[in-house]
Amino acid sequence: MIVRQLGVRQSRQLLALSRRAPASSRFFSSEIPVDTAIQTPTQESIEPLPIAASIPKAQNPLHEVVQVSQAPQGKWAQWEKSKSKFNSLGSLTKDAFDPEDVIRNPPSPSDITLELLLASGTHLGHSTSRWNPQNSRYIFGVREGVHIIALDVTAAYLRRAAKVVEEVAARGGIILFAGTRKGQKRAVVRAAELAGAYHIFERWIPGSLTNGQQILGHCETKVVNAFDKELPDFKQDLADRPSVKPDLVICLNPIENVVLLHECGLNNVPTIGICDTDADPTRLTYPIPANDDSLRSTSLIAGVLGRAGQAGQARRLKMAEEGKLTYEPITVHELKVDPFTGFMPGTEGQKKD
Amino acid sequence: MARHTPNGIVQAMQSLRISNSLASRPNIPSLRYATRKYATEVQPESATETVIATETEIQIEAEAETSMKTQKVKAAPAINFEKFNIAPARIIPASPSYFSGSPRFIDHVLRLEALQAKFAHLPIVDAAEAPRMAWLKLAQFRDFVGEPVPVKKYKSLLKILQSMNRIAPDMVPGEVRDSLASFLRPGNPYSTQHSPREVDEMGRARAKGKRKESTAVVQLVEGEGEVLVNGKSLVEVFQRLHDRESALWPLRCVDRLDKYNVWATVHGGGVTGQAEAITLAIARALLLHEPGLKSSLRKAGVITVDARRVERKKAGHVKARKMPTWVKR
Repeated sequence: MIVRQLGVRQSRQLLALSRRAPASSRFFSSEIPVDTAIQTPTQESIEPLPIAASIPKAQNPLHEVVQVSQAPQGKWAQWEKSKSKFNSLGSLTKDAFDPEDVIRNPPSPSDITLELLLASGTHLGHSTSRWNPQNSRYIFGVREGVHIIALDVTAAYLRRAAKVVEEVAARGGIILFAGTRKGQKRAVVRAAELAGAYHIFERWIPGSLTNGQQILGHCETKVVNAFDKELPDFKQDLADRPSVKPDLVICLNPIENVVLLHECGLNNVPTIGICDTDADPTRLTYPIPANDDSLRSTSLIAGVLGRAGQAGQARRLKMAEEGKLTYEPITVHELKVDPFTGFMPGTEGQKKD
Repeated sequence: MARHTPNGIVQAMQSLRISNSLASRPNIPSLRYATRKYATEVQPESATETVIATETEIQIEAEAETSMKTQKVKAAPAINFEKFNIAPARIIPASPSYFSGSPRFIDHVLRLEALQAKFAHLPIVDAAEAPRMAWLKLAQFRDFVGEPVPVKKYKSLLKILQSMNRIAPDMVPGEVRDSLASFLRPGNPYSTQHSPREVDEMGRARAKGKRKESTAVVQLVEGEGEVLVNGKSLVEVFQRLHDRESALWPLRCVDRLDKYNVWATVHGGGVTGQAEAITLAIARALLLHEPGLKSSLRKAGVITVDARRVERKKAGHVKARKMPTWVKR
């Protein structure tokens, strides 16, 4: 028993006051003091706890904690390891939504279901007053003043776009993922990484295609063989070359990237883009009617296209293993010849063969 | 080109048909490929090689004909089965961030962000306890990446570096240490620890003080209260009583006037500035002798640096701020 209050309570108000027992009250305990198993850290590191010793090592989750090595890095690693052992204890959470999952492990085009699209909120369009009537064929209806995009159409268009990405990747095309809105960076970089593609998550510099030599002229390029291994021997032939142009551009926010799409149109570069109900679908070669304002929706679409590109690249490399080229390769002559004058180096002014 | 398409049979049939129809015609270089047997031989460059080498070939053939009877012909070199590996296929950008216009910078940022995420679980120390690092200056960084990086973007990169620098020093993984080291400017300016000033073996404490345009250097020795400023007595240098008072105020306010000798050199500025520069120098030198006096000297206001300087004159103004008198017309 612990005597909590020595003085007699004076009034009902005081009685009602729920005060915490002061720390000193534990010294008024009338029980016989018992030795508790308190050990200093130095002792702990030398000999294991008596309780821990009685449990067989295999069953004891504290086994690693007890044997503490001196190096702080090792200590930390063991602490992490023991923590992970305790992770299996307690209740299990099943089918919980992990926002990182769609970026780390995006679904492949064959995994597209209407449920997945619905769960990712791809069906939510814009307020009806902001619509572009050209999108009417993608629109399912109106709910609470917001246009709802037909999910079956979204799925079909997304599958078609995935097919396009896969075929372009399989033919050694240069694919550019562009998502310049805040928060799209990781999804864009991840999709480009999967598809062996290129990414842009900051502002598209106007003129990168139409005035490429000025803007991208200083950026490095390389000559690769059919297996994508760099051939350093041709490095000096890359000096005065026009900048590289993408063969396919995937734009996650076409509304903000009008300039990019305009330049793609001028250069005959096909584009895939997420076309919300307020966007102009004629600016895109392969529109995907979906919600472009939700990061979950855009990351899903970028991930699916990334996976498609991954499959295409794998196919291309497999063909290369078999000795087949899926595209017209650049020849040594084309590399050696000046791209602007058409002369071999050192033969300027002479008659061209 | 027909030979690259996977649908080989159709193409082969077509090319057969073409070659049959053209059998009577002279051999066209583009049709020579139809006779190929192995896909690994796909070498369009050979066409160009023959074009380039025609003149030399003719010469060689002519020579060979003449020397045929006299000399034995060498065997052909071994077949190069690795030709597919060395044949160029595509020109592609070296970095996935090629189209951003500053690929090297963005690659650095992405690499650092990935590292940061990888080691986010490691314990961190307070920003004040983290080792002080001399990161590359903006101009140096621009040279390092070879791209015109804007100030704002470099600041965001420095933020990542700083946050990784806060990982507990004994737990820093080698990977992080190496990548942080690549952003350090050569030579560590923070490695040299300045030793605190002390009274030298002759009993002198040396300190400097500045005020306005004046600079004073004071040597303070234990003694009887003699004061020499630029080799002259205090009265000669400072005619105003106020200046003399203020010059020796650190000694006076703690009753040490008759316990130290002052030997001061002062230059620059006017009389007041020189006197107050000496004040600061004496106070600092006195702290070397008696560090315990710091609080009383602080209260007396003699170890506080007065950093005010004369404000520059502006164009359109009469002085620093004074405007010319307004005239009606």
